[in-house]
This record gives sequence, C-alpha cells and structure tokens, in this order.
Amino acid sequence: MDDPVADLITKCAAGDRAAFRTLYRVSSAKLMGVLLRMLRERAEAEDALQEVYTRVWLRAGRYDPAKGRGMTWLIAVARNLAIDRLRARPEPHSDDALDTVQDSTPRAETRLVAQGEARRMADCFDALEPERAAAVRGAYLNGLSYLDLATRHAVPLNTMRTWLRRSLLKLKECLET
Amino acid sequence: MTEAALTPREEDAALAGEYVLGVLDLAERAQAEARLRRDPGFAALVADWEVRLGSLNEGFAEATAPNLLPQIEARLFPKHPPRRSPIAAGLGWLSGALVAAVLALASIATLAPPRPDLVVTLTTADNRLAYRVTHFGETLQISRVAGVGAVRGQVHELWLIAPDSNPVSLGLLRDRPLVIPYPAPPAGFVFAVSIEPEGGSPTGQPTGPVILTATVGDA
Repeated sequence: MDDPVADLITKCAAGDRAAFRTLYRVSSAKLMGVLLRMLRERAEAEDALQEVYTRVWLRAGRYDPAKGRGMTWLIAVARNLAIDRLRARPEPHSDDALDTVQDSTPRAETRLVAQGEARRMADCFDALEPERAAAVRGAYLNGLSYLDLATRHAVPLNTMRTWLRRSLLKLKECLET
Repeated sequence: MTEAALTPREEDAALAGEYVLGVLDLAERAQAEARLRRDPGFAALVADWEVRLGSLNEGFAEATAPNLLPQIEARLFPKHPPRRSPIAAGLGWLSGALVAAVLALASIATLAPPRPDLVVTLTTADNRLAYRVTHFGETLQISRVAGVGAVRGQVHELWLIAPDSNPVSLGLLRDRPLVIPYPAPPAGFVFAVSIEPEGGSPTGQPTGPVILTATVGDA
C-alpha cells in the first residue's frame, strides 16, 4: 500500500536528514494536534513535539512497515510520550482540565473513513455500550487515566477498570471475527 | 469478580490494550514497559493494539505546529566546532616548529586503519563502575568496562544533554554494548547515567539518582 510517511521513516533509519525534514513538514501538524489535545498546554506540547521527533529519528530503525502505517507509528510515539508526561503529573487532574476535554468530538469513530479497519472499528465500537465506548475513546484521545475516567463517569475505579478491560477484549474479539 | 474470569491470554491482551490506551498509573505503566522489552509475545500484543486503536487517530485534529526543526536538528545533529587535536591542545606551550612536527606525526597516525574514537569515559571516583563511549562511523557505542549493571528491578539509563537542553535518553545500559546511530557529539555535551526502574525512566527524563557524568572535551 502506498505510504509516503512509511518511506520517509525508513529513510530516516538510513540516516537521511533531508527525509527527516520532509517527514517533519508532512507530519508535524498531526502530531502537534495529538500532543495539544492530550497535554492541553501549548508550551508543553511544543516541547514534547521536539522530544517526539528526536525519538523518531533515534528509533526509526525499529519501525516495521509490514506492521502498520507510518503515521500510526508516529502517533504511537507521540501518544506514548504524552501519556508518560501526563502520568508523571500529580494526580488527580483538576476539574478544569476535565471540563475542557468533555467530548469535543462526540462519536469520533463515526467520522472515520468508511473503509477496511477503520470501518470495522466503527462497527465494533457501535457494538459496545455507548458509555463504555466513550470511556475507551476518552482514554485514547484525551489521555485519561483510570482515575480520570472513574471521576468522569462517576463509578468506582475498579468498576471502571473492569468495564474497560472487558470493552477492550470485546473490541479485539469483534475485530478478529 | 469478573477479573478472575479472564484467562491468562485474555489477561495479557487486556493489559497490552490498557498500556496502549494509556490508562495505567505510573508504576503499572513502568512495569508494562519493562515487560514489553523482555517479552516479545507481549510486545506483539502491544503492536497489535497500536494498529487496532490507531483507527481512532482520525479523531485527532491537526494543529498548527511551529517550525521546531532547527531546535530538533541542533539536538540531533550538533554542528562540529573545529575540534582542536587533543595533542595540539595539550602542547600549546611548545614552539610552533615542534607543534608542526607533532602534528605531522599525528596525521601519520590518522592514516592507520579507522578505529572508534573515544568520546568520554564515565567512571565513579573509585573506578569501580565505568562506561566507555566511543564513536565510529555514524554510531555511538557504549560499553561497560568496569563494574556490574544495576541491581534487579533497576537499570542504568544513558542520557545526552546538549548545552541548555533537557536530557535526551539514548537508551538502557545492560551487559551488551549499546549501539545507536548518532553523530559525534561535540565538546560541551554531557553524558550522564542515572538509575531508573526496570524498563527505563517512565517520564522521559531522569527520575533516579544520576551516578555518572562526563563532559565531552574534558580531559
């Protein structure tokens, strides 16, 4: 499948600095969107963006185009860094922070392009109870922890954990059938 | 409890999903990361979840990103200041002619087969623990040349700190030498080793005690 981002990452792994610059140009807006949404502070998101591209260059050799698209890998690097930073922040988050993340993109999965994996993912999300689907989405897109989710959905933390684990396994099962 | 009903396989799949979602707390996340590094089966489960949940990536809107390439490249590809030969630097007090002779000898020496350049040696005052950093071609190699690795449950993590910058992790130091693609770091860059929980710093910055440091260019 045609994947220019994957090609650029592969070139970075070979030490191609021009490819690295192109990669920044074509992908930084998306990664900035990820970091800004999760970290919620522009200054920190910009600092994190530098760290993300530093990691991308240093780890480009670990990317395997056979295992997924280039942009998926880049976003995984960005999300991992954002989550590390969020979890290192003192808990719990303030109510303010939670207010700003109240579903700004409700049912994001329904906007997914109707093709292949994404289409199936949308169908599998629809098969979950809406509140549980929202919890999975909130965790993924906003970087909410179990504690955040439990507060937000007003359930005990253990209940949230049970919900989420079951939802994940349901999603997995649904996508594999 | 429903948790008890999960088979070990389901348990692992759920944990990998929780890790990718990012809902685990700091300690659980560090544990999952440690497992990720030593358990290829678990790493494969995590990779599967990254692709599966990657379908949600459409939900991230793009945002204007400033051009941070200059800062990023300054971190990654430091410009080499004209490096004074350590021999010439050490013998600065000698007469010009003698220096010229020494340099001539030095340049003959550089015709010898290429060997890794010593960048720094990180060592404790008593020399009981030491790591040597060398540069060759486009890679840095870091090997422990004295002492033993961190105790069980902990790991030594290597950091590179450019002037006025935050530390960047170069990787975890274990028994085998660490080899990473990296240009030769210029004088003034600092290497440091910290003690981190197994799996490495959970925050991307040193969290444990820094046990070794060395500055590039210092004798």
